[in-house]
Amino acid sequence: MSKIIFRLLLSFIVFVTVFIVIRQMVIPDSFGKQGHYRANSLEDNKARVPFYKGAEECASCHQDIYDLTFSDLHSEISCESCHPPKIDANTDCKIMPPKVEGTIEFCAQCHKMNAGRIDKGVPQLLIEEHKGDQNCIECHNPHAPWELKE
Amino acid sequence: MEEHFQHLYQALSQVDGYIYPNEIDLHWGLMIVLYPYITGLVAGAFILASLERVFHVKVLKPTYGIALLTALAFLAVATMPLVSHLQHPLRSYEIFMTPNSTSAMAIFGFVYLWYLMAVLLLEIWFDYRRDFVIWSKTSTGFKKIFYKLITLGINDTDEKSAKLDDRLGYFITVVGIPSAFLLHGYVGFIFGSIKANPWWSTVLMPIIFLFSAMVSGVALVMLIYMVVSWIRKVEIDMKCLDTIAKYLFYILLIDFVLESLDQIHRIYEAEESFDIIKVLVNGKLYITLVLMQWGIGTWIPLGVIGLFQFYKPSEKIKKAAYFIVGIFVLVGIFFMRWNIVIGGQLFSKSLSGFTTFTAVYSGMEGYLMAAVWLIIPLFILAFLLWLMPPWKKISYQE
Amino acid sequence: MGTKGINNRRKFFKASAAIIGGSIAMSIMKPFELMAQKKDESENIETDKLPLWGMGVDIERCVGCGKCAEACKIENDVPKEPFYFRTWVEQYTVKKDGEVKIESPNGGIGGLKQSVPDDDIFKSFMVPKLCNHCTNAPCVQACPVGATYISPEGVVLVDDSYCIGCSYCIQACPYGARFMNPFTKVADKCTFCYHRISDGLQPACVEVCPTDARIFGDLHDKKSDLVKFLQKNPTEVLKPHLNTKSRVFYNGLSSEVR
Repeated sequence: MSKIIFRLLLSFIVFVTVFIVIRQMVIPDSFGKQGHYRANSLEDNKARVPFYKGAEECASCHQDIYDLTFSDLHSEISCESCHPPKIDANTDCKIMPPKVEGTIEFCAQCHKMNAGRIDKGVPQLLIEEHKGDQNCIECHNPHAPWELKE
Repeated sequence: MEEHFQHLYQALSQVDGYIYPNEIDLHWGLMIVLYPYITGLVAGAFILASLERVFHVKVLKPTYGIALLTALAFLAVATMPLVSHLQHPLRSYEIFMTPNSTSAMAIFGFVYLWYLMAVLLLEIWFDYRRDFVIWSKTSTGFKKIFYKLITLGINDTDEKSAKLDDRLGYFITVVGIPSAFLLHGYVGFIFGSIKANPWWSTVLMPIIFLFSAMVSGVALVMLIYMVVSWIRKVEIDMKCLDTIAKYLFYILLIDFVLESLDQIHRIYEAEESFDIIKVLVNGKLYITLVLMQWGIGTWIPLGVIGLFQFYKPSEKIKKAAYFIVGIFVLVGIFFMRWNIVIGGQLFSKSLSGFTTFTAVYSGMEGYLMAAVWLIIPLFILAFLLWLMPPWKKISYQE
Repeated sequence: MGTKGINNRRKFFKASAAIIGGSIAMSIMKPFELMAQKKDESENIETDKLPLWGMGVDIERCVGCGKCAEACKIENDVPKEPFYFRTWVEQYTVKKDGEVKIESPNGGIGGLKQSVPDDDIFKSFMVPKLCNHCTNAPCVQACPVGATYISPEGVVLVDDSYCIGCSYCIQACPYGARFMNPFTKVADKCTFCYHRISDGLQPACVEVCPTDARIFGDLHDKKSDLVKFLQKNPTEVLKPHLNTKSRVFYNGLSSEVR
């Protein structure tokens, strides 16, 4: 065989060999175990710490409010829908208690008249006509909206 | 970061209609425009060189070496815009380590490597091997060391070895033509295979990319041949130039027919996405598509070269015309890439609104960087021409 | 060049051939080893026994309060700027003249507000959007390195430590559900709150939805709320013509929705 071809072939083999060897060293261990991805990435994705705890957790301190809220109209609403957590679920929420909202703007997120919300079981209000600029919680108890204060 | 957000808030205020909120950030910018542009120049230059070699178009001889070296110079930086646009450039090696067999982009890495290592370098090596041996005896310093190393210790200069070089080089070129087609067809496939984007998703995309690549490569080699001749103060081979121009004319014509076919097909079928594409072409893309890509990049060059087939002006006028036509074609193909890459992102996949593209000057994705990636290959080419000038080759007369 | 040179060279070639042969043999072993492992693993993972997660979205119930989009940002540390959403809510308003207005200011966070006067409205509705967790995911198909994938439970996930940030998956996603996270610099998307569902919790958006417009569950479990939802309602997926076979099912989907 010609020297040229032999040498080029040799260079080619060396190149491919080096490539394969490097490849074996560099690929992460768990890669390809379940599919074309790093199987350990599943664990990485699971490892994130949740923020939202769920209403049952809240009930451990606020059983009374829990019972009240879940007895009727707002029962589909989880505590954290209105009181979003400020700190991750593994930390005691007393360190940074969830914010309490009760402004008109807050209630308006669901209750302000919108053509896209009609007939969905959520009362739609023309807020200005309803009560002017009075804050919602001055009359309504958000945990028991059917009750009117004084 | 703040600057980036500021930029996005500005884009948000210019949204027309409705776009998905995640679409305000345009992900592919100037770098991705450059990437198919540069790859196209490579493929085109190589195919021009192959014409001389495989189809024995002897009249193209003066451009053979220049075309090969041009292809190499641009291929050397072809992946750089791609890598510099990555958010994690240091992880780019993963494309070679764990390529996803269903991803057009992953396979491109190997097509590129194959083309660079197995086709272009080998062809150039076979073409120059004998000259390297001869030059290594007469030169000094860096050049001598380089020539010595590059011969891989093979010092044969006799007729037999020259014939073998020629045979092997011919074989590589034959393999190289489909490889060059593959290289740029594949770039087209990267866009053409995205079914989410109706502006990209067309089966003609790889073929359009291929022909536009040839157009740009041929124009570039023509320009470089003229410039190199002026710098070397040698007479430009007018026959050669006329032939290149004629090829340019035919390929440009095919390219234009294919693009028109694509547009006519869109207009006639008028699918769901047609309404927004119509607005896109008549609005945001009007200047870059109709004026730059079709007007300057296609119609004027076609008209000028077409005219020269009947009316033969003086050589001086012809040279000037070819030079300008070459630049026009290069500009036109650049905007063709622009219209594909940027145009495809200007409208929302919700098909109900538009966003705007504002390029920045600085940074990895800016105009400055783009200019750098376009100028560096020219320096590499100058270096290659100094290191292995095709005009100093001592050919074995048959 | 004498015989000695040739002999030396021969020795050199022999030695290098041995080394190369050895390394090739070693590296050939590795893929087979992988295949063997793959077999074992796939025997371990019985996908039938694993859940197959999916979501139902009831457009007839959604009021567009944006709680889901807000909760998602808190739960998953999504940048607060209005260009990054793993889930968002759109309001569609079909006017009497036939024109369709779509809007989603800040992804609906803070509640969607009616912007067309009542007199002009033919109909209006809210559409929550998120990653559709396609069975034939175009993003997974496009990823060049295998940094995004479908988990054994059918959730499309991103490997943050492996993603090169090429944005190809974002281009490939027909739903605009992916974005480039400006802080981590990798592609980011809805994971169905993989960390929560693996722990028996509901995704954050489902947890906070005040009207139960989002139904999350296991498609394999015939008694799950999701399966019941699918049995009870005529459901449709988004952009069915793209054949992505997504696992987010909409009830009450109007033809205006893209």
